[in-house]
Amino acid sequence: MGCGLDPLRRQAAAPTGLGPESRQQPALSGDGRLLATLVERAGRTTVLLQERRSGTVLPLRQLRNRQPHSSPSLSWNGRYLALLVQQGSLRQAVIEDRATGRLQPLFLPPGQEPQQLSLAPDGQSMAVEVISGGSQRVQLFDLSGLLEPDRAPGLRQSGGGPGLAP
Amino acid sequence: MSSSWIQRWGALLSLSLLLGGCQGGLRPVNSVNQQLNRIGSSGSPSLAGGWLALIANRAGARAQVQLIDLQRGAPVPLMGLNRADSLPISVAVDQQGERLALVRQRDDRSELVLYRRSIQAAQLLPIEPAGVPQRVSLSADGRVIAVQVSRGGFWQVDLLELP
Repeated sequence: MGCGLDPLRRQAAAPTGLGPESRQQPALSGDGRLLATLVERAGRTTVLLQERRSGTVLPLRQLRNRQPHSSPSLSWNGRYLALLVQQGSLRQAVIEDRATGRLQPLFLPPGQEPQQLSLAPDGQSMAVEVISGGSQRVQLFDLSGLLEPDRAPGLRQSGGGPGLAP
Repeated sequence: MSSSWIQRWGALLSLSLLLGGCQGGLRPVNSVNQQLNRIGSSGSPSLAGGWLALIANRAGARAQVQLIDLQRGAPVPLMGLNRADSLPISVAVDQQGERLALVRQRDDRSELVLYRRSIQAAQLLPIEPAGVPQRVSLSADGRVIAVQVSRGGFWQVDLLELP
């Protein structure tokens, strides 16, 4: 298999303060500074947002009582956290804007049940794995006009590169 | 123009704005979604920059990783990544579409792989201490991997900083 990439720096995710416990579905911010994972809190699957290096837990004020959480996804600087929450009997895609404290519900077209999310680092689009008509597929949605961009400082306009020659 | 006509159009405009609000601003990107629908079954999306990585499950074919250039609306080649003897489980892509992190099953064991597209090279990243990788995230700057690992009866998250 291909050429080497060592040395890798390895670390376990910073502790959550409750000793050993299961952590699932990691999601890094675009700059790698923040880490969202799913942990169990009082028997409920809950998203936990931490600074990756220090382990400092960051508050998420709008997501209480909406467990179980799943499929967290962060924007570049971690301003936006997209995830699935429980809304009655349904799974609901939402985005918490950590800058404003606002929770934005996202309604998919009728008949599409969200399974997994991926928020673009700039917060201007989102890919969603949905179940629709009994089949699983990925769909892309435009969020521009809904969220302010959360781009890397000094980053050039994002976009598909020239690609490789076939 | 009669006032009742204006009132009717006003009501219609308000209704559309209200429904637009109820949609939460989500607008399908039809040009890309038509391409995605042609793939057939797909999952495990990872979106970064102008790139969408996913796992495609065409009927009758082995699951494979696809990387879609969203400006072109078409997949790009991933020479050496998809193997006949392996099954992709989770994939993530960086902002430049250069690095892909992949968890795949091969010979009854799961492994973590870093693929660099410009040199078409896939590198196995050992899990230490030993564990079974399941789900992977790659920071959009391509410098950090977070991987969910089954170890000692727990799900844990390992972090790897890439040079």
